[in-house]
Amino acid sequence: MAIVKATKTPVRPAPISETSVFGWLQKNLFSSAFNTALTLFTLFVIYLTVSGVYGWGFVDATFEAENRRECYDNSLTGACWAGVIDWFDNIFYGRYPREEIWRINFGGLLLVLWMAPLWMSRVKGKILVGASVVVFYPFLAGYLFAGGDKGLFMQIMVSGAIVAFAINMANAVVSVLRNQGLDAFVIQSLGKNTAPDKTQRNILLLLTAVTFVAAFLWQLSWTATGVSWTKWGGLFLTLVISGIGIASALPGGIILALGRRSKLPIVRILSTGFIEVFRSVPLITVLFMATTMFPLFMPEGFVLNKLVQVIIAVVLFNACYMAETVRAGLQAIPKGQFEGAHTIGLGYWGTMGLIIMPQALKHMIPNIVGSFIGLLKDTTLVSIIGLFDILGMLRSISKDVPWLGLHKEPLVFGAILFFIICFAMSKYSRHLEVKLSAGRKH
Amino acid sequence: MSDKAKTKAEVRIRPKEEFNFFQDQRVRSVFYQLLTAGIVGWLAWYLVSNTAHNLEVRGMNTGFGFINSSAGFDTDFKLIDYTPGIGTFGDIFIIGALNTLLISFLAIILSSFLGFFIGVLRLSSNWLVAKVALAYVEIFRNVPLLIQIVFWYIGVFSLLPRVKQSLDLSFGTERVVLNNRGLYMSTPVPGDLFWLTLVAFVVAIIGAFLYRRRAHKLQDASGKQTKTLLPSLAAIILLPLIVFLVTGMPLEWDVPALKGFNYVGGTSVPPSFLALLVSLSIYHAAHIAESVRAGILSVNKGQSEAALSIGLKPGKVMSMVVIPQAMPAIVPPLISNWMNTVKNSSLAIAIGYSDIVSLFMQTALNQAGYAVEMVGMTMAFYMFISLTISFFLNIYNKRVQLVER
Repeated sequence: MAIVKATKTPVRPAPISETSVFGWLQKNLFSSAFNTALTLFTLFVIYLTVSGVYGWGFVDATFEAENRRECYDNSLTGACWAGVIDWFDNIFYGRYPREEIWRINFGGLLLVLWMAPLWMSRVKGKILVGASVVVFYPFLAGYLFAGGDKGLFMQIMVSGAIVAFAINMANAVVSVLRNQGLDAFVIQSLGKNTAPDKTQRNILLLLTAVTFVAAFLWQLSWTATGVSWTKWGGLFLTLVISGIGIASALPGGIILALGRRSKLPIVRILSTGFIEVFRSVPLITVLFMATTMFPLFMPEGFVLNKLVQVIIAVVLFNACYMAETVRAGLQAIPKGQFEGAHTIGLGYWGTMGLIIMPQALKHMIPNIVGSFIGLLKDTTLVSIIGLFDILGMLRSISKDVPWLGLHKEPLVFGAILFFIICFAMSKYSRHLEVKLSAGRKH
Repeated sequence: MSDKAKTKAEVRIRPKEEFNFFQDQRVRSVFYQLLTAGIVGWLAWYLVSNTAHNLEVRGMNTGFGFINSSAGFDTDFKLIDYTPGIGTFGDIFIIGALNTLLISFLAIILSSFLGFFIGVLRLSSNWLVAKVALAYVEIFRNVPLLIQIVFWYIGVFSLLPRVKQSLDLSFGTERVVLNNRGLYMSTPVPGDLFWLTLVAFVVAIIGAFLYRRRAHKLQDASGKQTKTLLPSLAAIILLPLIVFLVTGMPLEWDVPALKGFNYVGGTSVPPSFLALLVSLSIYHAAHIAESVRAGILSVNKGQSEAALSIGLKPGKVMSMVVIPQAMPAIVPPLISNWMNTVKNSSLAIAIGYSDIVSLFMQTALNQAGYAVEMVGMTMAFYMFISLTISFFLNIYNKRVQLVER
């Protein structure tokens, strides 16, 4: 007779060492005498650091004061945040006229709105959205920030930007609400969805042209007051320089990377030389070269302002780093993709533009975000050559009479600000990396 | 039927291409290259001719003659003899270059050790330690180096006590003192027979090396393990010590002494040096820690499990199995970090440490005004360093690849 168990053995609960907090603590913090000692020591160090920082930065700190003396009257050992708070506007906007600051904020808001559709899953044609940002936004933002008289070119570009922005917004709204593109929606509401493709295209073109004319007439009715670049500063200037830097470094980097991988020896040697020269010297030497030698390079009587010199230097420098990022991205594309493209009869530019680059760029996004973080941090160097970017502003607090000698607090504030921005971006780029590599299992 | 098949086959064969000047690949390749070379050449000519014209109009001096003319300014930190007014701009270049190399070298060593340490801590089984290491990495990587440098300089080293209240770092002997003017250290002054001690030291090292090689050979041949570490260490320490004592301790110390308002004697480094060294080391250690961690993680887990299962102790698993395999993944980013350390040492200019950029590219340039030459020389210096380092990196990479396959 076989012994058969009639009932199921009840499931035993997991051992307490696996489920309880104590089990976790035991395993991760107190697994051995040495580990226990290490944990206690680390806790002690953390306590010292945190209590020191907390005492200096919060408990003993002064948040409201007229000048540094009042801070000292309040507490000798605490931070004097009042100076930083007093300079808040300067830290973020530099010496930009206070009544015009809304233009900077508005420009920032426009960029956020403009790029928001890139993160909406229902919106189609994201490449167009991205391209419209790169092509039109700089002109609109540039005019918003600098102001002054619009030349004809600027009038056209600003109108174009307004049209692109309006279409983009309308498209996003229609996509989210009705899950169809703006073009399809317009055709449908006009009842022309049975009309031939050519008619439909003409209708859309006509509507765009009408919008453009309207925008052009509208922008004639206003002008923004001119603000000289010397008034630009603070975090705003840092973002302008690094924003232009990354936006122009990308196309430059793509060209240089293609040049470096080219089969044509002269093109290859020139690109490689250019990349290696700029990659082997520090950014500060390039900035110095820009300020001391660019004036010599220009034809007589042609003066570049310092901001433009710096931006050119930053763009050249970063294009070379970007080129290496792009090259790494290109190398990761399997050879079969090139061969496949050749097989269907595509030439060099067709292969690169339609097959290789779209794939490579997609997978380079995390690295591009990484480069942007690096560039943002590097942009603080422009304070050395006398631009008042965020670091320049932070350091001038100590030269302001009421806050004479206030060095530490502004620097700590700047460090925290940069940490928040850079840390958030690097977390995001890591998230992207995981997301993109998940869909890339081949 | 066969006719039909034949025509089909004939159709499939690509007709022999006729030579078409505009479609020929070689012609096009030559054309594009000439076009590129032409544009670049024209741009270069344009810039050079503009520069030449501007230099002439502004009456600026050109040529490298200034290298031998005397520079009228002094620097607070120099490794070679230099007197302002007598020393030349060439000397200034050398002083700056040596200062850059010195600070980079020290920062590289410190950041590598600290980085390896933090990188290993990142993988610690102790949760708290791993998180603290993570916090270190994230905090110091995400704050611009320049802010860190300025902070260490203004917020720490400039706030040290004054000369009279110097901090004594040598436990009451006043051999190493720290104050807001810098760090003052005693310098050893070798006596007559001191060279014998050095010789003994070198001999001991060579001896230890040979002994170790023999031990390895013995192990390969017979499997017997000999202890090498203790005898080697003993030889390296004891032999020079005995020689040193026998020759009558021919070594004296030049101790910094407080005279008037400052310390005199010994060696001293300015606060800017210390601030730059500390911030460079901390910043780059955070980067190195990440590459060390990635390198160790890149080694297959099976490797350490297998090593443990044949009875190796955890320490040996790390040093004999994991680290050697992780090295090919660690070394290239490590060396590119070293290169960045050299380049980032140029931020010295923000706090006035006399490195090549602040001394030669700024002070000297402002004084003498040979913009093109001086900027060119400074960039050439950095390029030379980078090329040298990447040359050795390439050699290493080739060797590693050969060993692998």
